[in-house]
Order: sequence, then structure tokens, then C-alpha cells
Amino acid sequence: MRFRIVLALLLGVLGMLLTSAVASAHGENSQEGFLRMETVAFSNVQFSKDTIKQGEEITISGRASLLTTWPKTLGEPDTGFVNVTAPGPVLLMKDRQINGMSAPDAIFVKKGNAYDFKLTLVGREVGRWHVHPTFAVAGSGTLIGPGQWITVQDAGGFQNNVQLLNGQTVNLESYGIGQLTIFHWLGFALGMVWMLYWTVPAIGGANHRTVSKLPVTLSVPLNTDGQDVGLITKRDHRISNYLLLATLALLVVGWIYQSAAFPIKIPQQVFRFTPPELAQPPAVVNAQPKDATFDPQTSTLVMNVDVSNKGNSPMTLTGFTTSSLTFVDQTKAGAGAEHVMVISPAATIAPGQTQTLTLTLRDPVWRDARMIEVNRPRIEVAGQLLFQDASGTQNQATIASSVNPKLI
Amino acid sequence: MAATAAALSPAEAERERLRGLLHKKYRWLDYKFDLVFWVTAAFVVGAAADITKLLFAGDWDFWTDWKDRQWWPIISPFAFIIIPSALQYIQWLAWRFPTGATYTAVCMFLCSWVGRVYQWDAFVTYPLVFVWPATIVPAGIFLDWILLKTKSFVLTSILGSMVWALVFWSSNYITLAPYLQPAQFMGHILTLADIQGIEYLRSQTPEYLRLVENGTLRSFLDETQYVSLVFGATVTIAGYWIGQIIARYLAIWPIGKFIKRF
Repeated sequence: MRFRIVLALLLGVLGMLLTSAVASAHGENSQEGFLRMETVAFSNVQFSKDTIKQGEEITISGRASLLTTWPKTLGEPDTGFVNVTAPGPVLLMKDRQINGMSAPDAIFVKKGNAYDFKLTLVGREVGRWHVHPTFAVAGSGTLIGPGQWITVQDAGGFQNNVQLLNGQTVNLESYGIGQLTIFHWLGFALGMVWMLYWTVPAIGGANHRTVSKLPVTLSVPLNTDGQDVGLITKRDHRISNYLLLATLALLVVGWIYQSAAFPIKIPQQVFRFTPPELAQPPAVVNAQPKDATFDPQTSTLVMNVDVSNKGNSPMTLTGFTTSSLTFVDQTKAGAGAEHVMVISPAATIAPGQTQTLTLTLRDPVWRDARMIEVNRPRIEVAGQLLFQDASGTQNQATIASSVNPKLI
Repeated sequence: MAATAAALSPAEAERERLRGLLHKKYRWLDYKFDLVFWVTAAFVVGAAADITKLLFAGDWDFWTDWKDRQWWPIISPFAFIIIPSALQYIQWLAWRFPTGATYTAVCMFLCSWVGRVYQWDAFVTYPLVFVWPATIVPAGIFLDWILLKTKSFVLTSILGSMVWALVFWSSNYITLAPYLQPAQFMGHILTLADIQGIEYLRSQTPEYLRLVENGTLRSFLDETQYVSLVFGATVTIAGYWIGQIIARYLAIWPIGKFIKRF
């Protein structure tokens, strides 16, 4: 019988170990599609490397736009935080630039604004890690940008050295561990002495038993220490006084030590500010979606959009960005393009012209990443159309449209 | 002895009876039973205290950059005193031991350290110097000592809770001190604690959730620290009585009903 139980447990553990897959995502598809598409659009996200050594830098840059299609149900966005999601502190954040300014903490944000970010990190834990930039908005949650696998190679150990204002260099991986351990465990030792004195009759006296005392303690008033019957003795009081004095002495010594060892201290700092707005070229393109359809069988989204060019030079539609996805014109897509779209009749709009463009985005990502789900109460698509003229001047036009799914 | 007992007043006779009961030898309820009780209860008490602390003051106890001078001395002493207060009532009522707070403190100390060292440091790789738990052992000794001296839960709730809040902060400030040293980082002057919070990625804890150094407790010439300590001591009294209610009405009262019935 015992053998069978052990065997069953062993098989159970083996079954779990052998059938479990490596987790490689961060729940980026768990949020409803319309939330991801109508809130933050990530574009031009780039990782400077995919393999680094411990202590070596990697840069993640890109743009996160808070779309004007931000759902009213989420409330107006006012505070945001650009960060990285990874399986724990496998990388360390060394610098965070938002619109060219250093932003160690959260920032104040506004709907419709774009935020160029540049995150500098260093490798810490050896391994292969899936890493995404993120844009968290207070009250709404964290929106996740495009991810990439980063390999951190062993460099024979890692130190996180930081220089204090007094010139001393400290390793934040372990700085202060000795003092922390000694002081906390000395306090714990005093607590244990207190407990052993009161609970071990061989140390504290025969009156320090537990259960057998119940008939006695219940027979005396609660607000007495029962000295007259021997529940608590004068010796108990005396020893407790000594232990209290020892505790007090520990605190006094600790305070003297910390004031002498760390004379210059400041409170934790909070730096929250509004980043400068990005210099944007004048908006010359206006886009108005007419309708959109989605075929779940082929995972194909077709959008008809009226596009007007009020500028002086032809503007060419180069891409469509939604959530963490960017679709580029199929005719100009390079070999590395992940997502493409077909634009008809032509991607270029002449100055002063208004034209209806049909965008066909056939891609399993709509279905696989749960971007458009036909069994939801809000079947919508939203994002930014990216235009560019011959000189490289860019325009973005935010669009949002309900989607008619092909159910039959 | 019988002649002496006959000469005793009823009160003295009662005391003699109780003294006899106190030192009565039991066949099964010996010291080994005590040992088994204290050791096995340690897991339950430590877990209860740790969970209560995490529910009410989780992040303040987890990260050095949350251990600020404004909210930490308010939230944490309140959250930390609930279970020690409950245990203090139970152990004083049952055995006249002024040990409830210290017992809870040492149990929780071990639970917290095991969790931080193995779960947070070894498994998730946050450095222990960033995620160290606060200690309440010195505060527990003070609280138990005050109960021993006052023999009153009302006085202990008032004096003890205030002392608890003060000792909690002063005993943990000693270990926090090195992380309040300034350094230049990202072009700003920050504390080492701030730098730890920025550098060591907390994917699902955006910085704006960090409730430090904000609020309206900024009167008294901007002496935020002292206002917070006084306010923290006051709310700790409320925490103490939450613990008392748990002990009196969720622990002792049901036991009394059970014993009466059978």
C-alpha cells in the first residue's frame, strides 16, 4: 500500500514536470482587445541587442501614444509609468528617458500625447528572458508593448555598484546585509530569551507551565498578575525588567551606530513631472473610418477609411499601429516585417485630395492575440494610421470603428 | 497542615487551593506537552501574523523605497499589532504570560525571513537588502512588559500601542538608515532605497502605486515624521482593539460556548 502511494506521488510529480511548458508570455493577451487597441499604441519599438553579458547595457526605445480613443469607462488618464516587464529583476533599469527627459518615476500624461521612451538596462541574471516595454496608466492597468527574447550570458558574477554622494561605492546587491542581519537577529535573540524564560519551566520556574495553569488563571481576576498565588513572581518581574533594559540598550546602540555610520540621510524622493510635448509636424492628414468588417474564419480585417490630405505634398500611408502591433504596406514590406496590409487603390494621397482607402489586414494575430473577438459586447478596431511624405515628415491619424463580424 | 488550613481565612484557603492547583502534577499534561504546543502553534501564529501584515501593509513591508517617514510609521504599526494583541489576550487570560506579542513577533520574524530569503531572494532573485522584512520583536517585548506592569488591557492599548508605534519605527529605522543615503542617479539626487526601487524591476507595481511622501500631513512646520508617529500611534490603538475583538469574540468566546455545551 505504501509503495503504491509513493509510486502515485512520484508519477504525479513526474507528470507535472514533463508536461509543463515554459511560460513565455506576460498576460499581454488577457486584456480585452478593444482595451488594448483604444488605449496605448506602441510604435517603432526597438531592442538594441538580443544577447548581452551580465552588466552589459541594452537599450529599448520606441513610442507609446495615448490615443484619443481612450475608453470613457477607464476614466481620464493622468499618471503613467513606462517600465519593462520581465520575469523578475533579471535586468536592471539604469536610465529612463521620456521625450528626452530623465524620468526615474511616474509621469503625468495626457490623452492624445505621444511619449518617446528610451530605456537603458543592464543584464543581471543569466538566462534567456522574454522582455516587453510597458506603459502603465493609473486606474487602468499596464499595457504591454512588443516583446523580445533577451539572452543574458554569464560574465563571472554581477555587482550593482552605485556611488554615494560621499564618494563611497556600494554594491546594491548586498550593501548593508551585515548590519541588517546582526541587528535583526540580535533583536530576535532577545525575543527568544523572553520567550524561553516565560515558557520553559526549567528556566523561568515551575509556575511557567501552560495548560495546567488554566484552572488557576480562570479563578483570579483578569487584571491581576496572581502574585499571591504564584502565577507571576517578583523574580519574573525582575527578569522582565532586565530584558526590557537589554532591548532598550540594543535600540540605543543601534541609533548611535546608524547616526555615526550614516550621518547624511534624506527621505525617499518622488520625481513626478509632465514631460515636454513632442514637437509634431502640423497635422495635414485627416482620416475618417467608414466601416470595417472581420472574417473570423480567415482572420481578415477590412477597413474602408476616407483620407484627406490638406497639405502641400503627397502623403503616403506607410502603416497602421494598434496596441503593440504595426502593420506595414505589403508592397514595401521588407523581409523582417511581421504584419502586413494591402492598401487599395493606392497608398499615396495627393495634396488637396480625399480618397477612400480599403485596408485589408489578413493576419492570424487578430484571432490568436484576441484582438478582435466576435463573442464580445464591443467588437471594435482602433489605432493610428501612419503617413509620411517624400521628405520624411510624418503624420499620425487616430481612427476607431465598430467592426461587423462575418458570423454566417 | 490540616490544622493550619483550618485556621486560614476563606480567602487564604482559596489561595492555598490555587497554589496547590498551580503546582499539581499531571500525568499527561507535562512539559513535553508545553513544548509540542509552543512549537506547533508557532506556525499558525506566524502565518496569521504574516498574512495580516501583508493584507494591510504588504508593500510597505516589502520594499525599502516604500519605508518612508510618512506612511510607513502609520500603516505598519497598525497592521502589525493586530495578531500580537490577540495573542496577548489569549496568553494572559489562559496562563498569565506576558508573552503574546513577543511570541507572535518571533514566530512572524522566522516566517518572514524564510519567505524573503528563499522565496524572494533565492527564487525571484530580489536582493534581501531590498526586500528585508521589518521586525517587531523589540516592540513586542515592550508591549508585553507594559501588560505585565499595568495588568490592564485598556492601559496597554493606550500606552502600549503608542510605545509599540515608536519602538517599531525606531528599531527598523536603524536597518533602513544605510538606504537613506543620497546618491546621484538618472541626473537626480535620490536615496539608495529609491535607486533600488527603480533598478530592480517590479513589472506589475508601477511607481505611481508607491504611496510615500504624499498626503496632507504636512503641518507643524513640515515635521512630517513626528506628525506621522503620533498619528500612527493613535491608529495603532485601533489596531490593538481589533486584535482584542478577534481574541475575545472569535477565539475565546466560541471556546467558552463549546466547553459549556459539553
